[in-house]
Amino acid sequence: MTIGHSGLARLAAAPDAASASSAPAGPYLLEMKGLSKRFGSVTAVSGFDASIAPGEFVTVVGPSGCGKSTLFNIVAGLEEPDAGSILRFEGKGCHAHELLGKVSFMPQRDLLLPWRTVIDNAVIAMEIEGRSRKASRAEARDMLPEFGLAGFGDQYPHQLSGGMRQRVALMRTFMFKRELMLLDEPFGALDALTRTMMQRWLLDVWRQHKRTILFITHDVDEALFLGDRVIVMSARPGRVKLELKVDLPRPRSAELVTSPEFIRLKRIVLEAIEEEAMKSFLASGAAAPQTDAMPEVQP
Amino acid sequence: MSASPLTHPAVTPGGSAALRLLGPLGRLARGLAILLAVFAAWEALVVLFGIRPYYLPRPTVILAALVQTPAPYIQGFLRTLSETLIGFASGALFGIGMGLLFFRARALRELVFPLFIVSQTIPVIAFGALVVLWFGNTLFAKAAIAFYLTFFPVTVNTLLGLESVDPRQEALLRSFGASPLQLMTRLQFPTALPQIFVALRLASSLALVGAIVGEWFGDTVGLGVLLLQGMYTENVVSIWATLLVSALLGTGFYAAVAGAERVLVFWGAEQ
Repeated sequence: MTIGHSGLARLAAAPDAASASSAPAGPYLLEMKGLSKRFGSVTAVSGFDASIAPGEFVTVVGPSGCGKSTLFNIVAGLEEPDAGSILRFEGKGCHAHELLGKVSFMPQRDLLLPWRTVIDNAVIAMEIEGRSRKASRAEARDMLPEFGLAGFGDQYPHQLSGGMRQRVALMRTFMFKRELMLLDEPFGALDALTRTMMQRWLLDVWRQHKRTILFITHDVDEALFLGDRVIVMSARPGRVKLELKVDLPRPRSAELVTSPEFIRLKRIVLEAIEEEAMKSFLASGAAAPQTDAMPEVQP
Repeated sequence: MSASPLTHPAVTPGGSAALRLLGPLGRLARGLAILLAVFAAWEALVVLFGIRPYYLPRPTVILAALVQTPAPYIQGFLRTLSETLIGFASGALFGIGMGLLFFRARALRELVFPLFIVSQTIPVIAFGALVVLWFGNTLFAKAAIAFYLTFFPVTVNTLLGLESVDPRQEALLRSFGASPLQLMTRLQFPTALPQIFVALRLASSLALVGAIVGEWFGDTVGLGVLLLQGMYTENVVSIWATLLVSALLGTGFYAAVAGAERVLVFWGAEQ
């Protein structure tokens, strides 16, 4: 893995003008206005508004069951939002299904195909696009070291560790070259140590590949550490509870999470999340709470 | 990975490390050694308890009969093998094809699948009489009966396998813009393959049963014919010799299918 942070000081990755809440209809890559989705009697998402500028790293946090995954499925083109929702991609209004094949989507599980080698798993999206197998394989082989997979190209998924499988999944997502990448809790299943390594590594890769990332997570630290902007979602039905610009210097190193500025931001996010977690906890009655934020509640 | 509804077929990966070290040759040698031991025990028991040959002849006598007049057994073996193979191959292809079709066309499935089930409730013997009327005493009549016993389990398991696809995996490939055909070739069919092989292994022995039973409706060559002749002439040694040859055919065919499975479904360890 490449987790060096020397050199490269403060790459202006964040679009400076994107002061989230009050920005005019600027050159956004993705805009969502009044996005809603009902499943039968359950409203998963209601009136969700957010815009994402090119090159931005936006993280979404929220209590469990707040409709984060529904939101992602809509943006990935897998689910159509309800009538009245406005979805704009690259400045043009569109249906969700038109986004199929336009957005690089990575679900929570690695979902590698067990009968394909690392290389062949990484190139599947390019294969579906109809690109030459030989060329995409060669490209994948060149990318292996960057993803910490050098020498593992011809292994099968069951021969890899959880962290490596996740990196193959990320490589697959990166190789499907789309401006917008959707990452749905990609590190959720990893142990804490591997997780922080992967976070720093992801920032490196993001910096080099210059993509726009929308990243879902349960973990407030992760959201702040990675994002240019954090969107806190409300309890179901999901809408934007809080939008917070993360003005922390990049490149970000591990010590950042203990800095006073980080703690200040964390307190703001936690307060917002706690309120919502409480709501969804009460709403779900005696059901298991599963809220990551609960133990860290500050009065 | 998704839990498949039936038990997973493949050899357990952890299995016996020693066995894997042996390799295929070692395994063959081990199998032969066990077979020899069984024959030796059989021989000893027959001699020791003075069992009359009418009930159980000595294996040496059976083998001697095989060696003395090998021609009918070799002919019978080849004939029954071809019937089995044709029936098995057509049944497997038809079964996989129908499984794919039923998976894609739900309406067709609701219409036709019950007919499949009804067809399987007809005893193979009753069906055999019809087949002989249609095809006469040809090789294809036997192959048709083997086919009849084969296609149904393959259809059912193909369908089961296709339906065990993880919807999240499907969503992922769709998000990459995969067409229905791409989904089928790159995800659904490979996912179903382990399940299909469960049925193919079952079908390999069913096809042999079909071929032998088919021969009972009338023919001049084949292992089933030899069995009938042995029965009518009370030639116990010939019956036993035919049994051994049938066992060889059945085991060999099963081993071939299982071998193909090991090569094609090499990832079976995962799930």
